[in-house]
Amino acid sequence: MQTNRDNIAVFSHVSIDYPLKKYTLRAVTDITFELKRGAITALVGESGSGKTTLASSLIRCISEPGRVAEGEITFYGKDGEERLDLLPDPKMRAFRWSKVSMVFQAAQSALNPVLTVREQFTETLEAHGEKLSKEEREAKFSDLLGYVKLDAERVLASYPHELSGGMKQRVMIAFALLLDPELIILDEPTTALDVITQNYIFTLLKQINREKGISMLLMTHDISVVAKFADYVGVMYGGRLMEYGDVRTVFHRRRHPYTAGLIGATPSIIGDISEMKPIEGSPPDLLHLPKGCIFAPRCPRCSDVCLTEEPPMREYGDGSKGKCYFFGEADDGKGN
Amino acid sequence: MNRTTTIRSGAAAAGRFFRELGCSLARGCRKFFSNTKTIVGFSIIVFFILVAVFGPLIFPYDPSTDMANAYLMPSWEHPFGTDWLGRDVFRQVIAGTGSVLEVAFYSAVFTVVIGTVLGIVSGYLGGWVDKVIMAVTNIFLSIPSFPIYLLLAAIVTINTPVSLAVIISIWSWAGLCRAVRVQIMSLKERDFIQICTVMHMSKAHIIFKELLPNVFSYVAINFVMAMRNAIMASVGIMLVGLAAYDPTNWGAIINAARTKGLMNVKNIYILLYPLVCIIIFQISTLLLANGLDETLNPRLKVM
Amino acid sequence: MQATTAARPRGKRFLAALGAFFQKYSYFFAKIGISVLTLALSVIALFFLLRMIPGDIVELYALKLQNQQGITFDRAYELAAQLLNYDPNENVFQAFVRYIGGLFRGELGTSYLETGVSANSLIATRLPWTLFISSVSLFLSFFIGIAVGGYVAQKRNGVANKVASGFIAVSGSVPDYLVALLLVIVFAYQLKWFPAQNNYDAFSVTPGFNLPFIGSVLYYAFLPILSYTIVQTGNWILHMRGSCIGVLGEDYILAARARGLSERTIRTKYMKKNALLPLITQFGVSFGALFGGATLMESIFNYPGIGLEISNRIISKDYMVVQGLIFFSAAMVILVNLVVDLIYPLVDPRVRKG
Repeated sequence: MQTNRDNIAVFSHVSIDYPLKKYTLRAVTDITFELKRGAITALVGESGSGKTTLASSLIRCISEPGRVAEGEITFYGKDGEERLDLLPDPKMRAFRWSKVSMVFQAAQSALNPVLTVREQFTETLEAHGEKLSKEEREAKFSDLLGYVKLDAERVLASYPHELSGGMKQRVMIAFALLLDPELIILDEPTTALDVITQNYIFTLLKQINREKGISMLLMTHDISVVAKFADYVGVMYGGRLMEYGDVRTVFHRRRHPYTAGLIGATPSIIGDISEMKPIEGSPPDLLHLPKGCIFAPRCPRCSDVCLTEEPPMREYGDGSKGKCYFFGEADDGKGN
Repeated sequence: MNRTTTIRSGAAAAGRFFRELGCSLARGCRKFFSNTKTIVGFSIIVFFILVAVFGPLIFPYDPSTDMANAYLMPSWEHPFGTDWLGRDVFRQVIAGTGSVLEVAFYSAVFTVVIGTVLGIVSGYLGGWVDKVIMAVTNIFLSIPSFPIYLLLAAIVTINTPVSLAVIISIWSWAGLCRAVRVQIMSLKERDFIQICTVMHMSKAHIIFKELLPNVFSYVAINFVMAMRNAIMASVGIMLVGLAAYDPTNWGAIINAARTKGLMNVKNIYILLYPLVCIIIFQISTLLLANGLDETLNPRLKVM
Repeated sequence: MQATTAARPRGKRFLAALGAFFQKYSYFFAKIGISVLTLALSVIALFFLLRMIPGDIVELYALKLQNQQGITFDRAYELAAQLLNYDPNENVFQAFVRYIGGLFRGELGTSYLETGVSANSLIATRLPWTLFISSVSLFLSFFIGIAVGGYVAQKRNGVANKVASGFIAVSGSVPDYLVALLLVIVFAYQLKWFPAQNNYDAFSVTPGFNLPFIGSVLYYAFLPILSYTIVQTGNWILHMRGSCIGVLGEDYILAARARGLSERTIRTKYMKKNALLPLITQFGVSFGALFGGATLMESIFNYPGIGLEISNRIISKDYMVVQGLIFFSAAMVILVNLVVDLIYPLVDPRVRKG
């Protein structure tokens, strides 16, 4: 099958529920898309759009009590394909980090404050049954930390609070590479960092992607980062995938009103601030979703049909797809 | 004509004022009573207060002895039975309710006032004032409180609830003071206080108008907790036989029953009634404190 | 000349080394300094508390000595003042100096009721029993509390958590001495399973390292330890559960799970290790509460520890001894808190270099 070679992971009609006491909250609704092997795929959306929930479902680390309610998640690794939604817990534990690792949003708090970096690296190796001699282990750690340009000896002996924010994020990146994963999830890896460090981290990540061929799934709300860094992009809104395609197509043609709105709401250094147009209204309340298209209340192109029935996902032929009745109609060449 | 309009508009303004006041009070009450724990705790405490106020009027206590009716088992006439001198235990417990509540209330007031004022001053002013207050606080936290209660109770003749409350609160404000200080120190770093400082507002204004309202909910919860501690301490002091100014105070009843119980085991049962009352009251204060905590600090509810 | 130039840099180096030494261990020195200061201030506070006592204790004691030894009142008064380390004719400052002098010689206070009895001798005979009861129940309740607290924190919707919450509410609401009273009534007076006074059966066993003695001590200590433990355990469960729930919400727990660590590792190395840190400071506070509470607890069980001694001697107005015993209790509490403070950086790396 062709998909096996092209894709590292495929989500097919995935819905994720949070069963709460009085009601069930559907954080992710019917999402189908694939992560291309060796590429960097970005998921953009406002906070609460379900991007973290969706990505966490790859390693079954959705915050409690979230569960994958419907759909299939398939991972096409070197050792064959795995149905991630059906994987029993012990196997899932072995799968985590060895196949899919993660760089967290707040590196500050993603490391255990009472263990040194060395202890945390070592215990992760041990949890995955890696039997290395002490020398081999140290060599591996130095290699990885050297790769992210850190002084291995000092960093390994340090506790998390002794490292700066940028250093911690680099430690986390080295950590993510520890077991040679095939996919790394990047959950807003630079939000807490200053701009210069941000650039440095992204250059580093891009280098890892190109040199080691590791696929990446990046979650962010920063459109400019996506434009610079990612190969493919999925735009999420209210737990739904509104648009998906390669970055150039999606951003230049702005075929979906929400994508267009997101880009319009991004300040640019060169442009005038008056050109910046925020999307009016507020993100949807997942408990009281509007009938029809969930973006309709805020959509400038909203028409009668949008208010009654949810638009289907339409393929656009060039590999991109979108959820809008007018998908493609906005493509009047003005996006260049 | 002119006058009537003024009066009319004045009346309208007053009406509006009272309507608004009523609304905000109603809103506050609704928020206050939206929590089951608060309702249960508050109702039990109100019940005890009612017993303390009206109980002695309905069931007056007669301290005269009636040896013929000593050690009676519970009956309709004597719901809790009678003691070794034939006095009605039920009426004793009711008569003692007010005495217990008085001490608890006064102690809580003193403790909260001393602790909050010193905590705010210490946290807000900082510097040597803070150092001095913290040094004093450390002494009060280091010297075990109970022996001191006993010592003070022995030195000073305690004959009123207020004097007992003073003794209890002298040694119990320190913990609250330290906690309030920590809260104030973190508040001080927040923007709105920084802005006040930049605007050269007076220290008194910042303390009373800006800081105090922000620690108010914390202090309110601690008022209830201080009542709990005061009951623990006052009953304990009476249990040793000190501060015996009111023989119907629950602690005094327990102590008397306990000491007499060494001679006749029948006395032991008498102390069960005030003891159960104390337990119920303490559970209700805990419920009220927890309920207030959940309402006033909603972030805890999420956890 | 040469010697001085050689000595100066050495002296400087020594000073620099000393400075660096103090800087490196500034945390420890600050903590020790605060403890010493608190102790000193407690001495002053207790001294002035003693001066508030109405009536002339020395006179009472002198009268007693006069009767006992058949000496003149003046001589007896002098002797009494000397023995009690107290003379009301002195001004406050002189009295204070004398009092401090006595403390430095290790004399905490002499009884004027019983000759040959002092705070020192009472501490020697009574302290072991109080320490035995309070430390056993403290550790017992601590370990039960953290085990249960850690367990229910993970199963917040389970029955166990509801039971634990109920237990915490009730045990937190009943004063520990009332629990003790109930236990005494039921198990000592009513069922007569356990004794209601003393620390061991003085008639049938001989003190020493022998099985009957140890058995008797444990038998007599059972009810006091049980009542302390019942009340304290709820407290520890509450603290541990709260601390664990806080830690479970931290990102590093999620990150550890994402790294494929086993649930057992996450529970021990991640949740418990982090959740225990704030509880260590609580340990010192708890010890202080136990030591203070011993006054009442021991008088309910008639258990001859320091607490029973304090409450009995307060009632019999033997204030010199009381002062010494309370001072000693305060010193113990300060010491335990100091030890906790000094140990803390060894377990929490975040404080180590702060």
